[in-house]
Amino acid sequence: MLRMNQLSKVFRTHMIETHALRELSMHVREGEFVAVTGPSGSGKTTFLNIAGLLETFTAGEYHLDGVDVRGLNDDARSRLRNEKIGFIFQGFNLIPDLNLFDNVDVPLRYRGFKAPERRRRIEEALAKVGLASRMKHYPSELSGGQQQRVAIARALAGEPRLLLADEPTGNLDSLMARGVMELLESINEQGTTIVMVTHDHELAARAQRNVHIIDGQVSDLDDGPRLAAPRPAAAAANPAAAVNA
Amino acid sequence: MAMRPIFSALMRNKAGLALIVVQVAITLAVICNSLFIVLERSTRVGRPSGMDETGTFTIDSLGFAADYDVRDTIHADLARLRALPGVIDATSTNTTPLTNGGWSTGVTTEPGRGVDSSGVQPAAMYFMDEHGLDAFGVRLVEGRAFQAGDVREFNQNTRIQSSVAILTQALADVLFPDGGAVGRQIYGIANDNQPVTVIGIVERLQVPWVGWTDVEQSVLVPAIQIDGNFSRYLVRAEPGQRDALMPQVEKALQDGHSGRLVRRMRSIEEARTRVYRQDHAMMSILGGTMVAMLVITGLGIVGLTSFWVTRRMKQIGTRRALGALRGDIRSYFQTENALMIGFGILLGALLTYGFNAWLMQNFNTARLPWPYLPMGALAMAVLGQLAVLGPASRAASVTPALATRTA
Repeated sequence: MLRMNQLSKVFRTHMIETHALRELSMHVREGEFVAVTGPSGSGKTTFLNIAGLLETFTAGEYHLDGVDVRGLNDDARSRLRNEKIGFIFQGFNLIPDLNLFDNVDVPLRYRGFKAPERRRRIEEALAKVGLASRMKHYPSELSGGQQQRVAIARALAGEPRLLLADEPTGNLDSLMARGVMELLESINEQGTTIVMVTHDHELAARAQRNVHIIDGQVSDLDDGPRLAAPRPAAAAANPAAAVNA
Repeated sequence: MAMRPIFSALMRNKAGLALIVVQVAITLAVICNSLFIVLERSTRVGRPSGMDETGTFTIDSLGFAADYDVRDTIHADLARLRALPGVIDATSTNTTPLTNGGWSTGVTTEPGRGVDSSGVQPAAMYFMDEHGLDAFGVRLVEGRAFQAGDVREFNQNTRIQSSVAILTQALADVLFPDGGAVGRQIYGIANDNQPVTVIGIVERLQVPWVGWTDVEQSVLVPAIQIDGNFSRYLVRAEPGQRDALMPQVEKALQDGHSGRLVRRMRSIEEARTRVYRQDHAMMSILGGTMVAMLVITGLGIVGLTSFWVTRRMKQIGTRRALGALRGDIRSYFQTENALMIGFGILLGALLTYGFNAWLMQNFNTARLPWPYLPMGALAMAVLGQLAVLGPASRAASVTPALATRTA
């Protein structure tokens, strides 16, 4: 699904060169749930940005779902991102002036789906996160946990091959965080590949595999999938019930 | 680009929206009405008087000596002026177009209609001798010019004695709608019951008063006013000779009789400049106001959109991260701008006609022709799109990586 080989990212000013990633190599298989951990400034976010095609890299190779992303122009990267990747951000990144329906609709419109298809996907995605009855509400009318669930619905509505989560529980209390985590696990069980950047080792432990980044390099690559931490049975059966925080 | 979500997002930013809508509406109302007034004035200022404006000038003579004989002086002056090199012709006259001063009368085709205003056409009267048409430089389109035998002298006691007249085409058309004015009789020149025969028609000679409604209705009368010691001459110079000739004319008249004042020598071009000075000032002021309003509105749009772009940086980054192309972001702001301007135009249409109604009631202006509104609306839409171009391009250049940065 995601294959990075000898990837480097250097930020240059006229005075300073900062090596955010140093010949980083990583392979995430389809259906995996990988947690990327590391201390602040280690390069986690740069890795996520490059993985999500939000930034370009300086050297190396990156194949996303079989597509070599080197040399793609901005528009091609945007289209590939829209089609293949769902994003979950730490700060939810919902658009405050749009209601939940329109928020989930944003990536679908850019995808060019017709209105009936968009409506179907939006309703299904919001139902999946237990917010179908609140489509006309605005983000400010929801709790943090609910807002993150809307963000997850937005990421899921496009049926992405890869879900990139940037500290998805970073702004939530532990109860809400647990609910969101269980929702992500449930999504992964349904076949979606997830790469989650986190500094929370407890959450990382629930992923199938952990990748630790220090100073822009993978310091500890557990290359084989392993079983995640035990999950509550009810959450797996009905993800929305688990995250009604 | 999807209108509905942009519209609903706009509705949640009512203060900024209202600011632009009101600004656009006021600008549209001012622009449409100002442009109408400016073009109307411009047409008025630019219309031809019918005479040779570049080659002609007038000069006044006022005798003060005890032995001053105005009749003899006029005849001697005219002979002297016509003999000057560079003079095409000269005539005695009472006034010229573009002076806002002269004689008017009511002309009819039937006697005794003076007390009954129906059928009476207002007209300016120009007195001149048999050299008048050449001196004015008007174009005779029908009939004949004045001859020496047509010219009558008159004063306050004798009143106008002329028995023939020449009409402008506009006056002939309104008096004789079926044509055939030449040879017909009109009344109101000498007095209400004395017929005057129309002997010719000139293409155009506007009345002296630039604000008159019937500005093209003039009657040319072969007469010389012998009253007091005052006389006025109209001199027409060869092309390009006017300015050189003017001081020579002044000297010739002064040399011709020392017992008088020769004054107020003025070219018709200068008269045009003077008479339309207020119109030019108004056009400049309104033009400046229009430009200022457009600039202020444009800057207002730039300012608000820039503010919105800055405030929405994270949102733009998120949209880009979710798959928006640079063009999608640009067109988002352009669509948003088009919606705002659209609301402004709707309100502005009401304001435009309200303002026009107020101007009609208080300043006697004409009704605004309908094409001004769509033209003004188009101008506002173009202004809006131009103003939003910079901020929209800035928004389009926002990196999608901004989405992962903490606010």
